[in-house]
Amino acid sequence: MNALEISNLSKTYGGFHLDNLNLTLPNGCIMGLIGENGAGKSTTIKLILDMIDRDGGDITIWGKDNRENILSLKQDIGVVLDEVGIPECLNAKQVGKIMKNTFENWSDLAYMDNLRKLSLPADKPFKEFSRGMRMKLGIAVALSHDPKLLLLDEATSGLDPVVRDEVIDMLNEFTRDESHSVLISSHIISDLEKICDYIAFLHKGKLLMCEEKDVLIEHYGLLQCSETQLAQLDPEAVKGKKISPYGVNALVRRDKVPSGWNVSPVNIEELFIFIAKETDNI
Amino acid sequence: MKGLLLKDFYMAAKYCRSFLAIVIVFIAVTFFGDNNIFFIIYPTMVAGLLPMTLISYDERDKWDQYSGVLPYSKAQLVSAKYITGLLFGACVYLILIVVYAARMANRGTFILDELIFIGVALFVLGIVGPTLMLPFVFKYGVAKGRIAFYVLVGLFAAIGTAWMRIDVYRALSLWINERVLIAAVGAAVLLYLLSWRLSILFYKKRELN
Repeated sequence: MNALEISNLSKTYGGFHLDNLNLTLPNGCIMGLIGENGAGKSTTIKLILDMIDRDGGDITIWGKDNRENILSLKQDIGVVLDEVGIPECLNAKQVGKIMKNTFENWSDLAYMDNLRKLSLPADKPFKEFSRGMRMKLGIAVALSHDPKLLLLDEATSGLDPVVRDEVIDMLNEFTRDESHSVLISSHIISDLEKICDYIAFLHKGKLLMCEEKDVLIEHYGLLQCSETQLAQLDPEAVKGKKISPYGVNALVRRDKVPSGWNVSPVNIEELFIFIAKETDNI
Repeated sequence: MKGLLLKDFYMAAKYCRSFLAIVIVFIAVTFFGDNNIFFIIYPTMVAGLLPMTLISYDERDKWDQYSGVLPYSKAQLVSAKYITGLLFGACVYLILIVVYAARMANRGTFILDELIFIGVALFVLGIVGPTLMLPFVFKYGVAKGRIAFYVLVGLFAAIGTAWMRIDVYRALSLWINERVLIAAVGAAVLLYLLSWRLSILFYKKRELN
């Protein structure tokens, strides 16, 4: 069963339009949602949680319609938003007591363990926490009620590299259980590259691509050549290009490039930038 | 909903300490001071406005967003504020009534009708604030909801002016009778419940971006 299925999801407000989004997150997988600011990542997560009304489309979580079952579904979903909205006067101990009275499966033991792992003080008011500590407390809360699905919206931003690494380890640990899944959006694409099984590119409200990370890395590559050489290639092979006085840097499909051409590996960040820019040029 | 009430209790305990001090001072003034009704009206009205104070802190801290990820319905989120307001308001209200009764007894001027009249007046004044303001706040947020606050201040000023002109004992004997008091309490409760329902409807339609 899939953890999450989104079909033809659309939402318009102000100058923004989320355009017929289709996504499937299989159980036991981590999907990274990549996109620029305003691409629709947070909107997608809010729509999944039924925090805002959709204009059209369907969302199912473990096969259940999210709107009809949202309260029971939320019992099994851990969420960290880009701003952890815990009241500033509360300390971690008080937050734990509130959450114990909120989630049916809340575990004080798991919570205290998460606080310890993330080096968070239990008695210090939230207002005295740094941005990184705030995110860590959000993560500790999200992981302490035995969730089956984690939705993380920019949860690693503001964290220093060491803590980011710890969080990534916690997510890896979380997905060792095959019934656990994660949807994570981040600007720090290198983090997503480390942990994600699937990558979805959102750009200006449209899904440009959703594929297994390994398939993306295997199928695409970077080609450095001249403009004349590029013109010799099948146009289908070229998925994006940057032209400079020193030559052309092109994103290509490896299977469409003749053997003998020197195609170097591409990382997910380069892949996204090429594809997003190419989409803008069309 | 227990978690929401606990959270509001923690916040009220932290942010409303100054209000608690005011209540204690005003209780002392009510008991020992002259017959100035302001000192029991003011804490009652301010206690009624506690939910608005909590909502403004919620908005500042982005709790209004975060609560959306928790397994609470919008009806529960709204109801928690009404219940918190009722609990705190009821505590302050009961303390003030007891103190007022003790004051009358201490001075040998205990009149049950006067106590009932004061009790009803305080009840209605305490409840009118959240009744009028909360639907605005849940529909437009605290910033825009302040417009309702200004309307409310004007209303209180008018009530205060009228109050000054009323001779309580004369009013009691002439037009304040049992039926009027029961009707006033009934209308206040009805409007409060209507406000509660309206706030739920407004909040369900409000999108927090």
